[in-house]
Amino acid sequence: MAELWYAILCLMITLFVVLDGWDIGAGALHFVIAKNQDERRIVIAAIGPLWIWHEVWLVGTAGVLFMAFPQAMAVAFPAYYLALFLVLWTLLLRGISLEFRGHIPSDLWRAFWDFVFVVSNVVLALVLGAAIGNVIRGMPLKPDTPFSLPLFTDFGTRGAVGLLDWYTLSVAVFTLVCLCAHGASYLALRADGEVYRRAKILTKWLWPCTAFLLLLVSLGTYHVRPELFTAMAGRPTAWTMLVLLTGAWAAIFTALRSGAETRMFFGGCALIAGLLGAAAASLFPVMLYSTINPAYSITAYNGSSSASSLRAAAFWWPVAFALALLYVSFIAKYYSGRVQTSQDTHHPY
Amino acid sequence: MTDDAAFWHRVQFAFTITYHYLFPQLTMGLAWFLVAWKWLHLRTGEAGYGQAARLWARIFGINFAVGVVTGIPMEFQFGTNWAGFSKYAGGVIGQTLAMEGMFAFFLESAFIGALVWGDKRLGPRSHFLAALGVAMGSWMSGYFILVTNAFMQSPKGHAFAANGSLRIASLRDFLLNPWALIEFCHNQAAALVTGSFAIAAVGAFYVLRGADRKQGLLFLKWGTAVGLFASLLVAYPTGDAQAKMVAVHQPAALAAMEGRFQSGPMADITLIGQPNVQKRQLDNPIRLPGMLSYLAFGTFHSDVPGLGAFPEDTWPTNIELLYYAFHVMAGLGTLFILLMAVATLQWLRGRLESSRRLLWVLMLAFPFPFIANTAGWMTAEMGRQPWLIYGLFRTRQGYSEAVSSGEALFTLIGFAGLYFVLGLVYLFLVGREVIHGAGKSGAPGAGEVGPV
Repeated sequence: MAELWYAILCLMITLFVVLDGWDIGAGALHFVIAKNQDERRIVIAAIGPLWIWHEVWLVGTAGVLFMAFPQAMAVAFPAYYLALFLVLWTLLLRGISLEFRGHIPSDLWRAFWDFVFVVSNVVLALVLGAAIGNVIRGMPLKPDTPFSLPLFTDFGTRGAVGLLDWYTLSVAVFTLVCLCAHGASYLALRADGEVYRRAKILTKWLWPCTAFLLLLVSLGTYHVRPELFTAMAGRPTAWTMLVLLTGAWAAIFTALRSGAETRMFFGGCALIAGLLGAAAASLFPVMLYSTINPAYSITAYNGSSSASSLRAAAFWWPVAFALALLYVSFIAKYYSGRVQTSQDTHHPY
Repeated sequence: MTDDAAFWHRVQFAFTITYHYLFPQLTMGLAWFLVAWKWLHLRTGEAGYGQAARLWARIFGINFAVGVVTGIPMEFQFGTNWAGFSKYAGGVIGQTLAMEGMFAFFLESAFIGALVWGDKRLGPRSHFLAALGVAMGSWMSGYFILVTNAFMQSPKGHAFAANGSLRIASLRDFLLNPWALIEFCHNQAAALVTGSFAIAAVGAFYVLRGADRKQGLLFLKWGTAVGLFASLLVAYPTGDAQAKMVAVHQPAALAAMEGRFQSGPMADITLIGQPNVQKRQLDNPIRLPGMLSYLAFGTFHSDVPGLGAFPEDTWPTNIELLYYAFHVMAGLGTLFILLMAVATLQWLRGRLESSRRLLWVLMLAFPFPFIANTAGWMTAEMGRQPWLIYGLFRTRQGYSEAVSSGEALFTLIGFAGLYFVLGLVYLFLVGREVIHGAGKSGAPGAGEVGPV
């Protein structure tokens, strides 16, 4: 049962990063890709209708973490107390900027919220990346000793670590670039005019950058947790993820050459899914890795709820998952194709 | 007290949840008005309903957005500030929090964008479905949260795991907790009161100012009729059932709500008075004899225990505030029935439009359901003290030991500042929509130039 819920949790995180990732990436590029209010409206209209649905994958993930792995949550959340509130406040600002900007047709009003929107998306991408870096690197975990992590210590990855070190920072930068590339691919698919043209140019730069940074981050990961790569060799799930990654890169680079936007976009989705999937498959069963002694780590087995709780949830979760996809398939058809801002009621989005 | 971390964790949760719930209660209250107006517009084609739905959908959108962004911190605070509680009860209450995300939020969030901005794109039929989806999602979300709260008030369906934490024994018993069913009816009726008072207030405003009179009359009619119905439901049968439930499951809370220290039959209900915990008495009480016995147990002679009957370490921790919160809720609830009854009567006599004083009262009354709802929740949550899960787990055991009082205070101040600004922008935007009125096309300031 614990294995199943580990997989469900990873699936939900992956869906969040893939889906909201393009909103975050497009949002971070907002000023680069859209130079005037007409163009900015296209970006907002491409994100607007479903961003909350995307963000709900994060909320759902937190709920499932709470239900299935309360021990892991009870250790990790207080340990990252201030960082988590930074995330919550940033999420708040991002949501508000998206929803409030459209209500007043004034350039000043919109310029202000556009600024809040860009800053919050950049911060979100960086913090999200640093969080993934922290999960891979681990934290100074000792049995029965609640702890809280400093923002940074000596930027080393061993012993008394902080939230930021050279490794987690490199993952943060990689995440920002990767999500920007993903966002640009999304806009290349959905926008037209100048926004479309700039998105195409940006993908030509951002995807190769992503590939280069991924190489560096992988070398870094090998330095920090070499055993993850040896673990991968014995795990068929990890192999499929590596196949997915290879396919994703092939799709992205052939699409960059031929200009096939759909292929590039789905290549980006597959890339993110493959990366998170490969990480999850090689980390399993460890959820919170102890930098002090690996034996102190919190795993999917010692961090989970009891079997009866997990079994009960296994009945309702698939139903809810299917319904969630049903709702969105009903609404998404109205928003498919290239963005046409004239189609929206009143003015905003 | 200032270096007591448990205290600041409580204050932060109380503050963030109280602020958050100002928005969902209006969302849940307005949602079915939108569904009804969209439906009537679809059936009759009358423009008035379409305009009404469009104005309130815009207000709904602003309100919903603030509800979303203030709601997300709530879920995370279980882990950040209440790690002890999460560890102990995650296997049980995590179920409903995860269900809320999976069943309710996906439904709401899929349709909210389309509801607020998409009526042209979706066409009338699908747009009606979008309104229905959002309404169902918001009420479902309310149910899951109330099941969670009901478990904390009167735990059902759980068992103990080997490590001492809680696990699910029966998902059915947990989800169909009688406390949850009654609390849901009581709470949703109260949310409808908030929604109908808001609609009646805007209606009164339009009629008083003379512009948008037709829309104003529509809002007045719906606001007062639904307002009367919902106010009655809040009191009876839902409030009555809720009180009886408290009398059975949390007798110490009932005693504190009424400021009752001595036990005995023919228990009085207190209309006015201040609890004096030190002297164990009510100062200057004005009472209705026997009513509490009757309301709680159905006969005047029933014995209602006072606080003296319970060990002091199981008394609610703040008896005075609990007493005031309960009396504010019950008092306002009674006044709501009176106000809406008078307004409905005047409507039926065809005199509502000309009763300017009554219109002024209706226009200015809309904040009071927010106060009554908040006071009601204060009653529920302070009555539960000193327990986090009634009879099982004390509030003191629940907070995160790794987080210091200073950190908790720091984030509390952060929330206070952020929420203050958020509240100002919210009032500004909603006020603007209301003043702009319902009849004109487009949003305020958009003019007739079409999309910007």
